[in-house]
Amino acid sequence: MVRDEERAFARPRRFIALGLSIVVVFTGLTARLYDLQITNGSYYRALSEQNRVLRIPVAAERGSITDRNGYVLARNIPGFAITVLPIDLPRSKQAGLSSALGAVLGRDPAELDKIIDQQRARNPYEPVKVSAKPVSRDIALVLSERAELFPSVRVEAESIRSYVDATLYSPVMGYVGAITEDELNDLREKGYLPTDIIGRTGLELQYEKYLRGQYGWREIERDAAQREIKTLAYSAPTTGNSVALTIDDRLQKLLDGELRKGVEEDKFTQAVGVAMNPQNGEILAMVSIPGYDNNWFVQGITPEQMASLNADDRHPLVNKAVGDIYPPGSTFKMVTALSALSAGTATRSTVVNVTSTVMTVSGFNFYDWRAHGPLNLVDGYAHSSDIYFYTLAGGGPMGPNITPVGPDNIYKYGSMLGFGAKTGIDLPGEAKGIMPSPAWKLENLGEEWTIGNTYHEAIGQGFDAVTPMQLLNAYAAVANGGTLYTPHLLKEVRDTNGNVVYTQGPIVTRKLDMKPEDLATIREGARKVVTSGHAPMPGAKLPIAGKTGTAEFGESNGKDSAGRNKLGFHNWFVSFLPQQDLPSTEPNAQIAMVIFTYDSSKSLCELCLNPAVGISQRIYEAYVLGNKK
Amino acid sequence: MDIGRAASPLHDRPHARRFDQVDPYLLIATFLLIVYGLVMTYSVTAESRTFTGDPMQFVIRGALWAAIGLAVMVAVAMFDYAWLGTFAPLLYIGTLGLLGIVLAIGQESLGAQRSVNFGGLSFQFSEVGKVLMIVVLAKYFADRHDKIGSPLVIAGGLAILGPAVALVYKQPDLGTSLVFIAIFFGLAFMAGARIWQLVGMVAIAGASFPLIWSFLKAYQQSRLTAFMNPYADPQGAGWNIIQSLIAVGSGQATGKGLTAGTQSPLGYLPIAESDFVFAGLAEDLGFVGAVILFALYFALLIAALRIAFRAKDPFGMLLGSGIVAMLLFQILVNVGMAISLMPVTGIPLPFISHGGSSLVSICFALGVLQSVSMRREAPALG
Repeated sequence: MVRDEERAFARPRRFIALGLSIVVVFTGLTARLYDLQITNGSYYRALSEQNRVLRIPVAAERGSITDRNGYVLARNIPGFAITVLPIDLPRSKQAGLSSALGAVLGRDPAELDKIIDQQRARNPYEPVKVSAKPVSRDIALVLSERAELFPSVRVEAESIRSYVDATLYSPVMGYVGAITEDELNDLREKGYLPTDIIGRTGLELQYEKYLRGQYGWREIERDAAQREIKTLAYSAPTTGNSVALTIDDRLQKLLDGELRKGVEEDKFTQAVGVAMNPQNGEILAMVSIPGYDNNWFVQGITPEQMASLNADDRHPLVNKAVGDIYPPGSTFKMVTALSALSAGTATRSTVVNVTSTVMTVSGFNFYDWRAHGPLNLVDGYAHSSDIYFYTLAGGGPMGPNITPVGPDNIYKYGSMLGFGAKTGIDLPGEAKGIMPSPAWKLENLGEEWTIGNTYHEAIGQGFDAVTPMQLLNAYAAVANGGTLYTPHLLKEVRDTNGNVVYTQGPIVTRKLDMKPEDLATIREGARKVVTSGHAPMPGAKLPIAGKTGTAEFGESNGKDSAGRNKLGFHNWFVSFLPQQDLPSTEPNAQIAMVIFTYDSSKSLCELCLNPAVGISQRIYEAYVLGNKK
Repeated sequence: MDIGRAASPLHDRPHARRFDQVDPYLLIATFLLIVYGLVMTYSVTAESRTFTGDPMQFVIRGALWAAIGLAVMVAVAMFDYAWLGTFAPLLYIGTLGLLGIVLAIGQESLGAQRSVNFGGLSFQFSEVGKVLMIVVLAKYFADRHDKIGSPLVIAGGLAILGPAVALVYKQPDLGTSLVFIAIFFGLAFMAGARIWQLVGMVAIAGASFPLIWSFLKAYQQSRLTAFMNPYADPQGAGWNIIQSLIAVGSGQATGKGLTAGTQSPLGYLPIAESDFVFAGLAEDLGFVGAVILFALYFALLIAALRIAFRAKDPFGMLLGSGIVAMLLFQILVNVGMAISLMPVTGIPLPFISHGGSSLVSICFALGVLQSVSMRREAPALG
């Protein structure tokens, strides 16, 4: 055909090829769109929401901690936290930001870089805190106003924990600190965030569940420049519940004043004082000296501060009322006495005639501090005769008719009184102590028990080791007529509106399987400790009952890191205060107290003057009598 | 041969015959695409939360440009496209001149000199340049369609193309220079160039890629590497690609609704009204909206292809083919960029991207197509 020849320039196959390429292009584009929008549409929809909508946690305040009368011990003061949201931070700008932030916050840029990297790997849509401690308003303003210099940086209000009477309460209170990586892994599902603070030790740790508030959140819409366009939704945070302690700040301060004075006067280097209500296990005061300033930890402890705490060989970070163990000395004679009474090997009128200061058994000498002459149990206890209790425990030439109660019975009744086990007080880091027995020795030392072990145990030396809290609790059980309570610091928990949501009632560990009259015998003896002049309380205005104890322990020369003399003597006075208008043997004491002084001056030894006695007297009188004004 | 062909381009045929042969499919697709573009202009500006004025302002401006474009289209259609061939050498000089002016006095925007401001309006001469280059090259190949097998003809075409590409690339506008190259290949192919010649040129270009790479600007290189793996630097070079994918994907089947998109108004989608307008469209109107757009394009291109096929002479055929090649390439690259099938280059999406120069240039090209259609020999393909 002519026409076809004329139109040879229009090549059908090329047109078909171009037409096909049009088809291929649109088919390809449509297929790709189908994949993006239909197959994976919901995935991208979620991403676009994540882009647009940022849910920012709104931090909740931690609940406060007060004493039993509402005196605030731990509260919150406003400050600012600096956080970085990694998704907003281009990698190329990260190094620059780290060094800029490092300069402003006084932190190592490499460390900040690492923190941001870690969060980027973990969840870049979640902010990570880069301020080690709360920052001032000035710095917060600089960071928020110069956003172009600090991309991805957010300034958030942060309440800082603030401890009142920090050093006094730190052994009990503990402190809060930034959550660690490991903790976060465990607690993430409970709503903890990388920016969280968490109770680290003490009551802050123990009652984290009450004190911790609940995050609120704010959903903001934002543009690509990270400007907030508007708040889409808001849910207010819930402040944590406040915790009221059983502690009475007045008694706490009386204890602290006396003990601190003793340390300052170089009468001893460390001290513990605990007071409780023997009728229900409430702790009224708990002092461990030296303490530390727990505000240091909250505000970001400096390496110098940390070094000073670590260099102090008195271990200020340990609450010695529960966290360390000591030989109980003569205070332990109560255990020997109650064992013999309960096992029926002795009565109130069992007499040992202490004719000498030395007793020889199997070729070994065992000493007393005086030749007391004939003593019954009350007098033996009141005068703290060592030979009397050697004889009750293991028998001896000065009481030839006495059946030894033996180490197994002492173990039985000692354990019943709570020795060798945690009291269960609501504080972390409690020590168990040691309640020795022949089985214990064989297991732990691989040796047979000897009669010498029995004698030493009988007077609270040797293997016996107790926490001040254990000792006090055992005496409290005697003072209340035979109930061993679990001591506790928690009185009640209140919500933000002040409603009580939990009240801590008495917790009974066990009823002592001991006869009331035997317990009364101990109370009688304890009162006689004071009235007989063994623990002299000149001008005493209150019928205080108690037991002294002295133990030699550790180094007795040189000085500790605080420059005080190491003397290797510890003094105890564990006491209770029967109600005045009734006979002292009634189990009605409302206060029991232990005073423990570490590295006491030798000149203040048990023979002469146990400093814990005078301290106890002054505290009781100031607290009980001063209470009435 | 028709008897009645006159010397005057306006009187080459009886009027009735010419208007008979206006391609209705092309016309309808053109109208619908212009309207679609105005709708998207409204949507993208209305949903902006940083722009405080009346979104209709942009629509009105777009409508004005559309009116100008339609007027140009009608005017161009009235003239015999043969005139364009007559003036091809002049048009070529004019093209190079316009591109030179851009380099000399162009306004800098986003790091590139691409537009010239004139009387308060900004013109992207490279848009017109593309269409003019189609005319020039179509004329060149049409005149040599019987000697197309000769390498000299191809070399000559390259010599015509080279200066224009160089000027556009200098702006720098890699995308538009690629459009020029695509036009060249399209025309050479449709003119009947030997396949091995075309393949050989592609092979040479591929082999010299390392050399080309070294000529690329750093940002162009990073765009290419980001295209290969956008997630290597999601906040940097990969950002546009990822955000565009999110915008498209999040549109799902039916979209978030007109003016209800979030990616572009919040600034996640850069240059949402032009380069990434498809992502905005796909976000607002979803798969359905995108497929409707594709259908309109498809209709337009097939209509154009049919006009080219039915053209009465090689020049008309090549004019139509070149326009098809240009539009197809721009659609492929712009849409492909939004859905991560192509590297990021600043090529406007025909009709949809906001911008008068692009729209008027396309209308000019479509006017030429209608002129080719109106002056075809006879309705050959039904």
